[in-house]
Amino acid sequence: MRSKIFFLLIIMPFFCFAQKIKENHSTQILKCSTCHSCDVPTKENPCIKPCPREKIISIDQLPEEGPNVLTIDKFKKQTDVYEPVIFSHRLHAEMSGMGGGCKMCHHYNPPGRVIGCSDCHELTRKREDVSKPDLKGAYHRQCIDCHRLWSGKVECLNCHQLKNSKTKTDISTIVKKNGKRIHPQIITPAIVKFDTPKAAGKLVTFYHLEHTDLFSIDCSKCHKNESCSKCHAKDLVTLKAGKTLEQKHLICSNCHNTKQACSYCHLNTVKPGFNHKERTGFDIDKYHGKLKCVRCHTTKEKFTGLRGDCSSCHGIWTHENFRHKITGIALDENHSSLECTDCHQEKNYANPTCSNCHEDKSFPKFFPGNFIKKR
Amino acid sequence: MAAQTRRDFFKTSALLGTAISGISNKQIKAQSKNILSENRMGVLVDTTACIGCRKCEWACKTAHNLPTLPVEEYDDRTVFKKMRRPDDKALTVVNEYQNSTKFPINVKVQCMHCDQPACVSACIVGAFTKKENSSVIWDTNKCIGCRYCMVACPFQIPAFEYEEALKPDIKKCDFCFDLTKKGKIPACVEICPVEAITYGRREDLIKAAREKIKNYPTRYVNHIYGEYEVGGTSWMYISSKDFLQLAFPKLGRDPAPGVSEAIQHGIFAYFVPPIALYALLGGVMWLNKNRKKTESETEI
Amino acid sequence: MENFRSAPIEKKFFTPIVLLLIVLAINGMIFLLGRFLFGIGAVTNLDNQYPWGIWIGIDVAAGVALAAGGFTTAALGHIMYKEQYHAIIRPALLTAMLGYTFVAISVMIDLGRYYYIWHPLIMWNGTSVLFEVGMCVMIYLFVLYIEFLPIVTERFIGRVSFPGFLKKLNRPVDKLLRVLDRTLDKTMFIFIIAGVVLSCLHQSSLGTLMVIAGPKIHPLWQTPILPLLFLLSAISVGLPMVIFESLITSRSFGLKPEINILSNLGNMVGPLLFIYLAFKIGDMVIRKTFVYLTELNSASVLFTLEIMIGIIIPLRMFLSRQVVNSPLGLFTAAFFVIVGVLMNRINYFLVAYTPPYQFQTYFPSFGEISVTVGFIAIEILLFRKMVMIFPIVSLPETGSQKTKYFIRGKSQ
Repeated sequence: MRSKIFFLLIIMPFFCFAQKIKENHSTQILKCSTCHSCDVPTKENPCIKPCPREKIISIDQLPEEGPNVLTIDKFKKQTDVYEPVIFSHRLHAEMSGMGGGCKMCHHYNPPGRVIGCSDCHELTRKREDVSKPDLKGAYHRQCIDCHRLWSGKVECLNCHQLKNSKTKTDISTIVKKNGKRIHPQIITPAIVKFDTPKAAGKLVTFYHLEHTDLFSIDCSKCHKNESCSKCHAKDLVTLKAGKTLEQKHLICSNCHNTKQACSYCHLNTVKPGFNHKERTGFDIDKYHGKLKCVRCHTTKEKFTGLRGDCSSCHGIWTHENFRHKITGIALDENHSSLECTDCHQEKNYANPTCSNCHEDKSFPKFFPGNFIKKR
Repeated sequence: MAAQTRRDFFKTSALLGTAISGISNKQIKAQSKNILSENRMGVLVDTTACIGCRKCEWACKTAHNLPTLPVEEYDDRTVFKKMRRPDDKALTVVNEYQNSTKFPINVKVQCMHCDQPACVSACIVGAFTKKENSSVIWDTNKCIGCRYCMVACPFQIPAFEYEEALKPDIKKCDFCFDLTKKGKIPACVEICPVEAITYGRREDLIKAAREKIKNYPTRYVNHIYGEYEVGGTSWMYISSKDFLQLAFPKLGRDPAPGVSEAIQHGIFAYFVPPIALYALLGGVMWLNKNRKKTESETEI
Repeated sequence: MENFRSAPIEKKFFTPIVLLLIVLAINGMIFLLGRFLFGIGAVTNLDNQYPWGIWIGIDVAAGVALAAGGFTTAALGHIMYKEQYHAIIRPALLTAMLGYTFVAISVMIDLGRYYYIWHPLIMWNGTSVLFEVGMCVMIYLFVLYIEFLPIVTERFIGRVSFPGFLKKLNRPVDKLLRVLDRTLDKTMFIFIIAGVVLSCLHQSSLGTLMVIAGPKIHPLWQTPILPLLFLLSAISVGLPMVIFESLITSRSFGLKPEINILSNLGNMVGPLLFIYLAFKIGDMVIRKTFVYLTELNSASVLFTLEIMIGIIIPLRMFLSRQVVNSPLGLFTAAFFVIVGVLMNRINYFLVAYTPPYQFQTYFPSFGEISVTVGFIAIEILLFRKMVMIFPIVSLPETGSQKTKYFIRGKSQ
């Protein structure tokens, strides 16, 4: 939680002042000690700590804000084997939106302009500071992890074109082609059915839409640090096979008790969707059906602790704050002056009773007013 | 009998003594101490970054004029099926070890360029030398092909051209001494796409490695292989797995030639023990002979 | 005491066994030719993991140990001046000379560049144990040849007769031999002492040879006192080797064994073996390596066998008066010691050596074994030929020809 607040704190000024402030970070809401190891850094001795990575990342752009295509030709002088690599920046930015965002690659970016790889990583391999990889190493390390996961390949020719190859494509064609490439929008599935190896209860039905729409759980709550391989792995089965039981249940166990209540998810048949009445005894279909959970369960991601009576949300109802015709019955003059509890003696205001005043009448044979069409 | 006089004995002994002491002076000069410069270079191999592309193998062969396949052929990953070792035809090889999570681990193998090299100590003709910039190189013109360096090397690195009948040579990684002495960097380091092998001052590399291990405790095991092994090596490794599982030999901190040299210098401490033994035996012999002589004389 | 005198043995050279040895020798030489034509890899099973095989382990290491008779008898006969042993010095010297010659040849064929064998003479590396062993063996070989020279002069002085046009050389050569004989007579003591010192040095350093291999050598053998153990074992195998040879020579040429001398020698072996055993066991106890004996593998079994066969059994035998006084008993006991030391050298250089990356364990190829066997066969043949040419084996005195050689203790 703290890190999130911290993150927000860093982001906010960036949005507000990014345009105005020139490379002067001393006014930022940043602790000096995050970057500097001494109390009074000077220009001569800035005593900068080695790249603290996660701690100083304040970059959050939309994919379309960044460049569409980058041509990586910084190594022209060093190598004559390969053509420059055309990097479809926008495509990758869009893809990263489903995972960790810009910071997946821009892993160091103090408030200010967007920092590119070559701003920190040196072009020459023979250098004084060996604590971070040189530019060539940095590029490759950045790309190869995802590429390797989803294609299983590390061969150079996957990204590079040999310079003296006869079959090579013209650079401008690649640039043009990549400029148009964007990642197709990802459609949230409604239901995902998992076929698990568990003997008793093979089937786990996951209502994805319920979790996102109804329960209002953030995507990032479950989809954190995800790379392309989540969807594009060459061999999803082996990727999963390598996981421990605990790792497999990790996402669910954020909220569910996966250690004991197995049969809650693992069933032999498709599990029906969420039903408030069945789970809690409180039928929401009548009046609350269209509400999002958070309307009543106001604490985020906490769905327990509400009593089943109206007063937990609505307070005590009177004629002033409750228009009875919403129930489909507009009270007549006689009844509209009564206290609610005169007729509704149960806490959830169900089953009104007439016997307090009338000996010969009962609901729903008789109405305390006009029956109108329910809204 | 030809009288063996006392004078004769001392004369010849003295002559021999001077001859040997002359030898011993030269001997001491011949032993050049390893020069370990503060600024000696090293390489840090981050096995978690290595992707097993084997470009280093290609670069190494190219730099050393060894026959090699075209660079594209090195994408073939079937070679990882069996463990390989550097030999006379490949001075460095990359091996692959299966790993339970994510990627297999690739480990580049070559000469470690020890700070206290066993080969330098062992070589009968002193063909091996430890250079100031860390390279352990050898003079092929001196080599007689005895293969004692191979016996001595704790990492089993020097390889021999067994198929060569006329002038077989010892082959091993020379840390691209021809390049480094010109201020360039080794061929394998130059080509590595992910810079899994970082070339720099050994001290800086250790510092950087410690920092990495501290920052990513789940990514690395807390061990820099080569920092202390056999007295320290120029090539050092960090890894996500215990090094013994990656076929690194389990070695102590004592320099490999330590015990052997201690014994050797004990026996030959300025040639005192051998000369003392010589004198002692001479004395015994002389006494015994004299006794025999007087005995036989008295008998007569 | 019977009067013995060294003289050439006059017997037929060829016997069935000699023919067999010749076949073995030729077989070995064929493979040796293969080594020179096609390289070491073509004939041996050596690889980058196992750089040294039986050519070093048996031919060189065991060869040097088993040639220890030369310096032990020299120490006994000349330095201790025990005259009764002079009779066995010459056979021991010949064995040592032949042994070391073949050690040198074996080293040479095992060298990748045999034609550079002289390199260590001018390219020195004081820290190298191999350098020290090499130098000592080279000098000692030279010393052995010098020690042998008086036997040559004795044989040829007054008998130089070159055929044909070389005839006119007869006189100068004879003169040269006489000068040589006189000079050697005066200076021989230098070489004898040097021989003993050099032997002590390289016999012990042979043990230091594999110390640098560190953890590659099984801890049962790898100890800092290896040089001492090697020296002790060399000393204790020297006399059994002399006994063994002497008995074989007697048998082969149908001579009466010099059982008195041999028994006396045998009595000395017991204590020497005991000291060796004490150090070996003591080292094991101090370093607590006996735990490795509980594992059942080739190392533990061979180590146990090496101690049982090589030390404990012969120790018991040499302490028995009955055994020491019978030729058969002496022969068996001596044989056990020899086998034990041979095993020790093989164990130390080959069995105990486990490289960090084994792809296949080393076992000598047919070619390697052929060459080794061939060399041993040639050695035996040469020994047989030499004792027929030179006055080496002591025979009962028949004539009264004066011996010329000072070492023989000629003043009697």
